Amino acid sequence: MSFPTSKQVNAHDIRRYVLCYGLALVSVATAFGWARLFLYFHLPQPFTSFAMSAIAITFWYGGAAPGILAAVLSIFIRNYLFPENVNLLGRVGYNTAFIVFALLMIGVRRRRSNLEVKVAGRTAELTRTNEELSVEIAERKRAEDKLRQSETYLAEAQKLTHTGSWVWEVDGRGASYLSEEWYRVYGLDPRRGVPGWEERLQRIHPDDRARWKARIDGALSEKSEYEVEFRILLPDGEVKHLHTIGHPVFDPAGNLVRFVGSTTDITERNQSEEALRQAQADLARISRITTMGELTASLAHEVNQPIAAAMTDANTCLRWLDRDQPDLTEAREAAARVVKDAARAAEIIGRTRLLFKKGTPQSELVNMNEVIRETLALMIGDMSRFSISVRIELADDLPAIAGDRVQLQQVLMNLMANSIEAMKDTDGTREIAIHSQPGQNGQVMVTISDTGVGLPAQQADQIFDAFFTTKPNGTGMGLRISRSIIESHGGRLWAANHLPLGASFHLTLPIHAEAQE
Amino acid sequence: MPTQVKAKMIAIVDDDELMRAALQGLLKAVGLRAQVFASAEEFLRSGLQRETGCLIADIRMPGMSGLELQAKLNAERCCIPTIFITAHGDAKMRLQALRAGATEFLTKPFDDEVLLENVRAAIES
Repeated sequence: MSFPTSKQVNAHDIRRYVLCYGLALVSVATAFGWARLFLYFHLPQPFTSFAMSAIAITFWYGGAAPGILAAVLSIFIRNYLFPENVNLLGRVGYNTAFIVFALLMIGVRRRRSNLEVKVAGRTAELTRTNEELSVEIAERKRAEDKLRQSETYLAEAQKLTHTGSWVWEVDGRGASYLSEEWYRVYGLDPRRGVPGWEERLQRIHPDDRARWKARIDGALSEKSEYEVEFRILLPDGEVKHLHTIGHPVFDPAGNLVRFVGSTTDITERNQSEEALRQAQADLARISRITTMGELTASLAHEVNQPIAAAMTDANTCLRWLDRDQPDLTEAREAAARVVKDAARAAEIIGRTRLLFKKGTPQSELVNMNEVIRETLALMIGDMSRFSISVRIELADDLPAIAGDRVQLQQVLMNLMANSIEAMKDTDGTREIAIHSQPGQNGQVMVTISDTGVGLPAQQADQIFDAFFTTKPNGTGMGLRISRSIIESHGGRLWAANHLPLGASFHLTLPIHAEAQE
Repeated sequence: MPTQVKAKMIAIVDDDELMRAALQGLLKAVGLRAQVFASAEEFLRSGLQRETGCLIADIRMPGMSGLELQAKLNAERCCIPTIFITAHGDAKMRLQALRAGATEFLTKPFDDEVLLENVRAAIES
């Protein structure tokens, strides 16, 4: 808005004054002219009525001051230009009439001004209201757009996550809201109307129906949240795995009125989890085979020992028997040694037989101390061959954990094999220390430390990566698999440098819930 | 045959108890007496190396290995005819042992006749 300059104001005012006062002069002059014209035709002299019209017009269009000027001019004309046949009393009468008329017109004029002000005010008010209204309308439209957009985003998110949302009323168990994605998950057409309780129940896999119903009945009676995993069976035979979470909603009086919740299609997730489990089982089996491969040399040596002894003892026995005079006492002694040798061979085979077993991981209550002793029995041959001494400190009160004994044995075997590998070319002390203790937060902790070459510098974390190896013919899978096994048991496996030399591997496993009590 | 037994004795060094017993039993069956040692260190500590006419030793043992024992004896100018018996001897190890003066390098399980021939040759030399 720009304000007019003073020069403009003056020019505007002057023009207005000229027009208004000019109007007074012109209107009164016109009234005088008309009166003169009437007189010329000898018509009754009508100046007074013409003058009043002139005054009224000037007041209306020109304003109060020009109106008064018109009244004064009229009085003047009445008195001096039409002086004939009017006495003093008539003159006063005419003048009074003009003055009263002028006063009346001033009143009318004021009324008009007030009215104009009021109208202007009302108009301004109306304009303001109108503006406010349009602003509100715009805001409402924006909000609506936003809402529509967020609804689109929500629908998109539901689509991406295969999650439908819903609301169902406790009374009659009818659904009062089902999202588009819900219909898609259930394979129902929203145009065919909201499916009733029975229709929804029919969709659920017959084997899961009772469980699903029981869970919802339970939530209804307990007025609690519910969560249920179940399958649905579509008419085309497709089976989907769903996961539903329901949340109770209460009215102000505390009555359960409805459930609000979501249903997610977890078929794909289940499948990939199953694939992962399968892959882990395969990996564990492969690692077992790999470990077996590595162990074969050691096993051959171990078994070879008693076999060689048995052959020698058997030959000795024959020698005693083949004499001219067989020495049965000596022969019996030699034969007894053969039995002992064979027993030793059988024992070695027996210890390792467990490792050959194929199968899914078996969960049982396991005492880690036993696993350590069993594994040590398998590895002790290797250790002694490389002149490695073993120090074990096992906690007497070690709680049991739940796990797969063979897998855990594999992890320990792997860690011990690594320690042996790290020490076999070092001079000085060669010691492997195995330590078990109840750890913090319901855990069992096992530590295996050695006096070997230690962890590769700056690569302490990488040793757990797949295919990372420092051995000339290592697969780089041992520690990777070990960590995967420990993590699948809910535990952790990590490495650290062992001071003053060597490395230490720590593993924690959660204590079995029953053992914890 | 007792007449063939000389003052020099036969030493068996092996960490495996069954193997020690088997070797000792075999030698006994042909009338030879042998002393057994569970480790190279035990043999060295016994101070009997100068009187040993034949040494039967394992290669891989906790502590000092058979080859290390041989090297140590050679360094002490105590050259005992040595027969190595090992569970997994490779060609390289065999060559190393024979170069250092071993009379025989046998792989388990071994032919008892071959062993006895070597033992006899050693103690008769």
